[in-house]
Amino acid sequence: MTTQPAIQTQGLMKHYGDVEALIDLTLDVLPGEVFGFLGPNGAGKTTTIRTLLDEIRPTAGTASILGMDCRRDSVAIRRRLGYVPGDLAMYPSLTGRDTLTYFANLRGGVEWPYVDELAERLGADLAKKIGDLSSGNRQKVGLIQAFMNRPDVLIMDEPSSGLDPLVQREFHAMMREVAAEGRTVFLSSHTLSEVQRVADRVGILRRGRLIALESVAEMRSKAIRQVVFEFGSPVDPAVFDGVPGVRSVEATERRTVLSFDGKMAALLKIAEQHDVLDVTTEEADLEEIFLTYYRDEAVTA
Amino acid sequence: MIFATVTTKTIRDRWKGWLIATVVMGLMLWWVMSIYSQIDLSFYTSMPAVFRSVANIAKGADVGSLAYGVMYASYGGLILASLALAMGGASIAGEERDGTIGLLLANPKSRTRVLAAKASALVVLAGLGALILWAAARIVPAAVGVRIDGMHPGALVFEMFVNALFYGFLALAIGAWTGRASLATGVTTGVMVLSWFAVGLFPVIKGWEGVAKAFPWYYYNAGKPVLNGVDWGLLSVLLVGIVIFAAVAVVGVNRRDLRGQSVGVTLIDRLRSNPATKKFADRLAGSARVSRIWVKTVSEHQGLVIVVSYVMFLIMGVMIGLLYGLIDQAIQKFAGQLPKTLLAMVGNGDLRTPQGFFQVETFSMTAPIALITVTIMMAARALAGEEGRRTMGLLLANPVPRSTVVLQKALAMVVNAVLVGFATFAGVVVGSWLGRLGMDIGNIAAISALATLLGLAFGGLALALSAGTGRTKIVVYVTSGVALAMYLVNSFLPLSAGLAGWAEWSPFYYFLRGDPLNRGMDWGSGALLAGLFVGLVALSVWLFRRRDLRQVG
Repeated sequence: MTTQPAIQTQGLMKHYGDVEALIDLTLDVLPGEVFGFLGPNGAGKTTTIRTLLDEIRPTAGTASILGMDCRRDSVAIRRRLGYVPGDLAMYPSLTGRDTLTYFANLRGGVEWPYVDELAERLGADLAKKIGDLSSGNRQKVGLIQAFMNRPDVLIMDEPSSGLDPLVQREFHAMMREVAAEGRTVFLSSHTLSEVQRVADRVGILRRGRLIALESVAEMRSKAIRQVVFEFGSPVDPAVFDGVPGVRSVEATERRTVLSFDGKMAALLKIAEQHDVLDVTTEEADLEEIFLTYYRDEAVTA
Repeated sequence: MIFATVTTKTIRDRWKGWLIATVVMGLMLWWVMSIYSQIDLSFYTSMPAVFRSVANIAKGADVGSLAYGVMYASYGGLILASLALAMGGASIAGEERDGTIGLLLANPKSRTRVLAAKASALVVLAGLGALILWAAARIVPAAVGVRIDGMHPGALVFEMFVNALFYGFLALAIGAWTGRASLATGVTTGVMVLSWFAVGLFPVIKGWEGVAKAFPWYYYNAGKPVLNGVDWGLLSVLLVGIVIFAAVAVVGVNRRDLRGQSVGVTLIDRLRSNPATKKFADRLAGSARVSRIWVKTVSEHQGLVIVVSYVMFLIMGVMIGLLYGLIDQAIQKFAGQLPKTLLAMVGNGDLRTPQGFFQVETFSMTAPIALITVTIMMAARALAGEEGRRTMGLLLANPVPRSTVVLQKALAMVVNAVLVGFATFAGVVVGSWLGRLGMDIGNIAAISALATLLGLAFGGLALALSAGTGRTKIVVYVTSGVALAMYLVNSFLPLSAGLAGWAEWSPFYYFLRGDPLNRGMDWGSGALLAGLFVGLVALSVWLFRRRDLRQVG
């Protein structure tokens, strides 16, 4: 039995006049995963999200959520959806609770004890008017409205902007809980450490095109990382020649530093033929990977 | 440098309002002078003293001084002062309200310098506005052929300028001292309107003449500058006031903490925070207000609807009824002399009957303006406004079809239009009763209903533009322009026999076609206006469903 994707896009295109905001985006996001959607400003992340929400219509291609067409079945989809827009704006003269009541009335299926629990976890003040809240506290109300009807799919565009580190940690836990229950989180973010911490898979968008789509672990395993060997006596760097994945070798006295993006086994096999005292590897983080993709772009350009 | 930058930025933000208002005042002067030059002015000069005094009409006035007095000294003075006080109130307090003051003062300049830059922008724009008025005051009489020998329109305009600065600096001082823009403009408007009325009324009450001197408006026009030139003695009181307000503003803005961005506290908020009233107020302001899209939309416009309904009820309804009782005799004499063009502008009402008088004063222009203002504002904010404020995305993330959003917004528009229409109806009924005019209640209901439907027809157009473009400016400007054009088509084309048929293309034609105040409801016209509204709402649904939402910011 194949699992139906929670979110699926097929050859999705969006043009604004001559500007190609989104080019041939084909993507599956599975139930029970947190999907990180990365890309610099103007890469097309928000355009993708607005197409999924039926705020804008694709020039070509299709998008579906929970097996329903984003255009045709948009109302049915939104019954099972939670959404936090980027640059969140709400009604300044309503209090947080009024705002949530308004959306709860439109949406249905909201249990107030759960809303209070979410407010408690995020430390949100629902009695104040939205216009009197700081941007971080306003964001908390935005998050609660997205989570409050326990949606099957949560789509969030830069959701943690303005949140302090403690609240961010709680928010990450909330996202993981959603995924653990078999529901789906589509997270567009600039905060790479956040994506690294919570996402199962990531997609990287560059100038409207999807240029990478992998699990975080896979991506990190393939990334160039630094491996440092301490040997008992100096080792000729040439011994590492020909090992798949070795990009460069620098040897100083008994210390050898390699840039490496292959399988560790092959490398260790060579190293153990010498007197290895210590080996450290600096784990590649998502930021480094992300920057590599964009450095490549700068070189290509 | 910041001095010039803040001044020029403020001027750039505000110049359009000043330009439009002063040019319109110039055009109104032209219109009024050309009408006055065609009619026997004894109607005005023989009006009861109280009305002459309020409207600033001298006994035995001629065309020139009458037009200057009514258009410039009275209404013009109010408009110029209103523009100035809106600007003065927003100077520092407005930047605090918008949350931009912090950024502005992060530059290496003192609060006093920023305040001075804002004040200079006010002086510059008031000066430019006065220049436009002065130019119109010179050009119009020459164009219309009215003699103004021995008159000093320049002196009048100069006094208007000083008077505007007086209220502008008062608002500036209150705003700078408290950091509350709405308080500054509210209090200053109150002082201005009260003072304007007091200066008109007290001089005609025996034994109370001197009380007018307690109000600042007295020092602006009491010396009749258009006839006598600038009265420096009186004007110096205003000039001293301006200096004092400027000093208060400087002290005020430097002594206090700056305020953060805030939405202000309303009466209902206070009720909600009081344990005794919390339950009731919560129900009213909280759960009830957000129960449906249309209820929330209705409540968002409560301020506008309350003010407009109040004006229509009390001033255009009750007061007009009382006024007719008072000036009945004067009207009988002059009604036959009014030029056709003037009568055409006010729906050809027969001023010798109370019905005609109400049609001219309340229904021909004021009621449509009131209703169209409400419906246009609602339509603009309904769809385009939510897109502009970036809340539409969040609203439509709920399982609500776009068609439902449009229909609920249209329903809210109907509710508020009906409220204003009902206030008008009730005001005229009370006015007719108090003035013992014996008008038929059913007929008053009919004309009020038709006025409501007329407002909705233009509201439908505004909603379609809002749905189709998502841009509030297009909604407001295009609909107002179309409404004005349709009004002119209906008023003036019938004056020419060959063009009369074209008037039927204007919705205004169907408003008064069946003479509803005398003959009751014209169901055909009502159905036509209602059909127009329904059709335009359907068009709005179609337009809004098919397009991309705008991304703002």
